Amino acid sequence: MVPKKTPRKWRWIRRLVQVSVFAFFLYLLIGNRVGATTFLPSDLFFHLDPLTGFSAMLADKRFIAPMLLGLLTIGLTLVLGRVWCSWICPLGTLLDWTNLRRRYRNALGHLSQWRHVKYLVLFAVLFAALLGTLSLAILDPITVLFRTATSGVLPGLNSLTTWAETRLYRYDSLQGFLDGFDRFVRGHLLPSAEPYFIPSLVLVALFIGILALNALRPRFWCRYVCPLGSLLGLVSRVSLLHRTVDQEKCNSCRRCARECPVNAIDSEKAYASDPAECTLCLKCVENCPTRAIAVRQQTQPAKPELEGLTRRQVLGSFGIMLAGVALLRLAPLLRGTEQRRLRPPGSTEDDVMKKCLRCGVCVNICPTRAIHPSGTGADYDGVWTPMLVPRLGYCDYICNRCGEACPTGAIPKLLLPEKQQTVIGKAEIDENRCIPWSQGINCIVCQEMCPLTEKAIELDDVTVTDGEGLETVVRRPLVMRDRCIGCGLCEHQCPVNGEAAIRVYPDDGEGQQQRRGRSE
Amino acid sequence: MNTIDRRQFLERMVALGGTALATAAFISLLGCSKESAPELPSDTTPLTPLPSPPEGAAYLAVARGDTPTTLVERAVEALGGIGRFVKSGNDVIIKPNICVDYRTQEYAATTNPEVVGALVALCIGAGASRVRVMDHPFSGSAEKAYVTSGIAEAVEAAGGEMEVMATMKFQDTPIPNGQSIKSCRVYEDIVETDVLIDVPIAKHHDRTVLSLGMKNLLGVVSNPGDYHKADMAERVTDLNTLARPHLVVVDAIRILTNHGPTGGNLNDVKQMNTVIASHDIVAADSYAATLFGKTALDVPIVHAGATRGLGTMDLSSIKIEEIAA
Repeated sequence: MVPKKTPRKWRWIRRLVQVSVFAFFLYLLIGNRVGATTFLPSDLFFHLDPLTGFSAMLADKRFIAPMLLGLLTIGLTLVLGRVWCSWICPLGTLLDWTNLRRRYRNALGHLSQWRHVKYLVLFAVLFAALLGTLSLAILDPITVLFRTATSGVLPGLNSLTTWAETRLYRYDSLQGFLDGFDRFVRGHLLPSAEPYFIPSLVLVALFIGILALNALRPRFWCRYVCPLGSLLGLVSRVSLLHRTVDQEKCNSCRRCARECPVNAIDSEKAYASDPAECTLCLKCVENCPTRAIAVRQQTQPAKPELEGLTRRQVLGSFGIMLAGVALLRLAPLLRGTEQRRLRPPGSTEDDVMKKCLRCGVCVNICPTRAIHPSGTGADYDGVWTPMLVPRLGYCDYICNRCGEACPTGAIPKLLLPEKQQTVIGKAEIDENRCIPWSQGINCIVCQEMCPLTEKAIELDDVTVTDGEGLETVVRRPLVMRDRCIGCGLCEHQCPVNGEAAIRVYPDDGEGQQQRRGRSE
Repeated sequence: MNTIDRRQFLERMVALGGTALATAAFISLLGCSKESAPELPSDTTPLTPLPSPPEGAAYLAVARGDTPTTLVERAVEALGGIGRFVKSGNDVIIKPNICVDYRTQEYAATTNPEVVGALVALCIGAGASRVRVMDHPFSGSAEKAYVTSGIAEAVEAAGGEMEVMATMKFQDTPIPNGQSIKSCRVYEDIVETDVLIDVPIAKHHDRTVLSLGMKNLLGVVSNPGDYHKADMAERVTDLNTLARPHLVVVDAIRILTNHGPTGGNLNDVKQMNTVIASHDIVAADSYAATLFGKTALDVPIVHAGATRGLGTMDLSSIKIEEIAA
């Protein structure tokens, strides 16, 4: 990392690394979305991210082996410093690209007292994890980017593309082009069968907010908020290499301090930089007119410079988290207001709460778009955890990809035969809406759909008399509760408008008859 | 960095907007918009009658034997050869039944891949410019279902292509002869292609008694569920007045005798080693019904098709050629 060549080269090398990592991130995201097999797993970035790994293990009080990859990042930081942020982090790259204030760089001055906010965010995430909730993992930069892309940006692009294609397809002269586009371009980037998604404005708003803060200060997020950045910042205090300024050569032109995108250079302290803030983007190195700046081995670790961050504040943040988690946990007391939250196959409510990073990997990989990030509902603690919405998408009988993709095991890895026997919920028929039950007309779609070898829906032939006194035989569907695994294909395909007449509910061991207080 | 002032910015925006508008106007001037579809014809529009088979050709051919490929070839030959249906340069669509992604061919829920492959080869041999095979599965993605069914492999080996039905091509289309439904959201290419070949598998169906050629065409609309709500036989027949195959080849190599249409139990599968072919979808379906010990009168969709003039269910009135191959 000691720049002996022409300093300008570093700009291009860094851009190349950033573009490559970002492209790779997109490759994993989109490749897995369209069902391709990527040569590295889609959750790679969550394993490389030490914050997600550490907080997941802390919340679950359990060792998660793949999370050891996070040690690579820690190791890298121990040698080079906080390079993750300006060389690797795809959110950081995006923030570089969306920097609107290129010309006013640092003219606004630094909000140095805000700098330690990110440490408080980090402590909040870790304290919350210690208390058993991973809700604050929503602030991890990798989850922010992945989740927004998979639940917001890509569905939006997809519906926009479908809309445009369908409109344009009416013009004969464009059909040949659209055919080719759909087959060779769209088919590899956006799955064609993806018409439904729950719009999550809050989720997208958080992301837009992070980008918008860029307008206040370049990389506002990285400087003041990011918990991963602050974790790596703590580590980089003792890193092997540090930025050094050769006082012999320095002519105090202040250019380095002006150019620094994270304002880590203090002109009051002989242009030294705070190692916890410096992301080693090397802009100062390449801009220094006298080549006074280099990155060299550090002989003695830098002193912690957590000015303003007092023990009282840290303890205070713990207290706030204690109260916060308690408040989040109030929600289960409201039990009953959210009766219907189906979890991906094999994962229990407890698993999800303790292990789920809210990263969106399962949402992204589910080929039938059955998995959606849950809204807040009555339960803030479970925000953006995965839930199945069968009306929008069902669990494909021959698919177990969500469990294979989950970075923390919140959705267990199941072999296909295991998954095919795993109960997600139980289907229940709404007799008031079901066509054969309520109108005396045959339908059987739900029975036809049931993928089980021994179908969980049986048809009961009943003779009914209609208003005109005519007798007809109607085939009414009945759910065989012991067989049903709750895949939701019946609910998805039920032809009744609006809410389906057959719906999957979490399995509480009781049928609808009992729930209604009837004894049959 | 280049800077522009507000005035320049606005000027550029106006220029850009003008160009976009002009382009849009130009495209619509090309005059191909389907928005100006003709008025719905009245209910009394007669169905185009089926063409009569050429001299010497069978009206319906039934081939029995061990090799599916041979059965297809011999049956089509008895009808006058593939050249009767496919001319050089034609665009051909073959519509098999690939209803789900979780059943392999042994379960007789999806069309036999060899039957589909043999048809693709015949069409290409007849000089078809393109042979596409497609269906719209109700469970699982089309890509996955194409592979599980074995059809993708057979089709690609024969030189055809599998098409995943694109959302954009499901267009609202009026059904001039519709009685229960007046329009449907149908895959445009199915209606517009030069040659449509319907290749159902003969199987039991819990709602429609049997699922055969007419029922198989339900896979070309985006909302098949709605057809189940009421008047299913009439609705499927309505759709059949719009999407009329030029050739129907019923795969009865294996038939599913119970728990259709998806099955799942090999005890319900019966090996019949039979292929039925005709240009008349009602006749083909009526004959296929006899394999289950039924007649067209037992299958409401086929019965409705005959009543509405889509073909004949009277097997005694047509020339049937039975082939042992």
